[in-house]
Amino acid sequence: MLTEEEVRRYSRQLALPEIGVEGQLRLAAGRVMVAGLGGLGSIAAYYLAAAGVGFLKIVDCDRVSLENLNRQILHTTADLDRPKSESAAQKLVRLNPNCRIEAVHTAIVDENAEALLSDCTVIVDATDNRAARQVLNRASVHHRVPFVYGGISGWEGMAATFIPGRTACFSCLFPLGKEGYQAEPPPVLGPTAGVIASLQCLETIRLLIGAAPQLAGRLLRFSGLTMEFRTLPIARNSLCPVCGEPQRNASP
Amino acid sequence: MSAFIRITVNGLPETVPPSATIAGLIDLFREMDRDLIVEHNGRFVFPQNYASTAVAPDDRVEFIHPNFGG
Repeated sequence: MLTEEEVRRYSRQLALPEIGVEGQLRLAAGRVMVAGLGGLGSIAAYYLAAAGVGFLKIVDCDRVSLENLNRQILHTTADLDRPKSESAAQKLVRLNPNCRIEAVHTAIVDENAEALLSDCTVIVDATDNRAARQVLNRASVHHRVPFVYGGISGWEGMAATFIPGRTACFSCLFPLGKEGYQAEPPPVLGPTAGVIASLQCLETIRLLIGAAPQLAGRLLRFSGLTMEFRTLPIARNSLCPVCGEPQRNASP
Repeated sequence: MSAFIRITVNGLPETVPPSATIAGLIDLFREMDRDLIVEHNGRFVFPQNYASTAVAPDDRVEFIHPNFGG
């Protein structure tokens, strides 16, 4: 049951036929890992907490720096040098005390990814590099936890939802990269992060309330230069090293 | 048979050799991004099919550079 406070707090979304009391209770039962608390993670974690997702595991290994503040709007000038996970947790609890926040100050690597993920039902990918996404993707496929990818660069961004066992995974889409290479941080405008992270939140909310995710098996591309959204269907790759069928991998 | 065919690459008209493959176009247009993904007539092309996927006149090819910032 929703408390009186919750009925008022969520009244504007309770009015949606897709949500209602049942959907709101599903959001409250939701357990989401927000991987990264930068430009994407700031927006994603804030909207998910505001919407009443019951548990957020927020993970980042960085501390707040001045160069972050053009876009990472969960953190403020007063938070400089604080761990992002701690800064973020404070704001999220202030926004919605109903939401339980577990702040984890760590890098996400193969050694800890499965443990981090073990009590979560959705991954929101708000990381800022390819290697971390590969780590998350492997854990997603092994634990069968849906993975909501988002990435940004300058005025442009992308998003896709990977459902293990059903759709392509991150490595079906981006199969070529090698480990150990970290590109220079791309230039980023705050609103670009806002657009992509908002789309990731819509997908995550859909997953939590049991609605079909609209970016499952599709890559969405957004350009803030042309103000266009385009989508591209993405099939599973039978040769995928992460989710492909082993017997077919053996003889390509 | 003409020496070249007209296709569209990233929204711009281009002339390329007949039966050029996606792999050939990646070289021709010097697409060096190791994370490049390719759309051909609205379909995603897996890398293992780059060498066997040929373009025909009026085809549309998009070279897409992934966004990995956050």
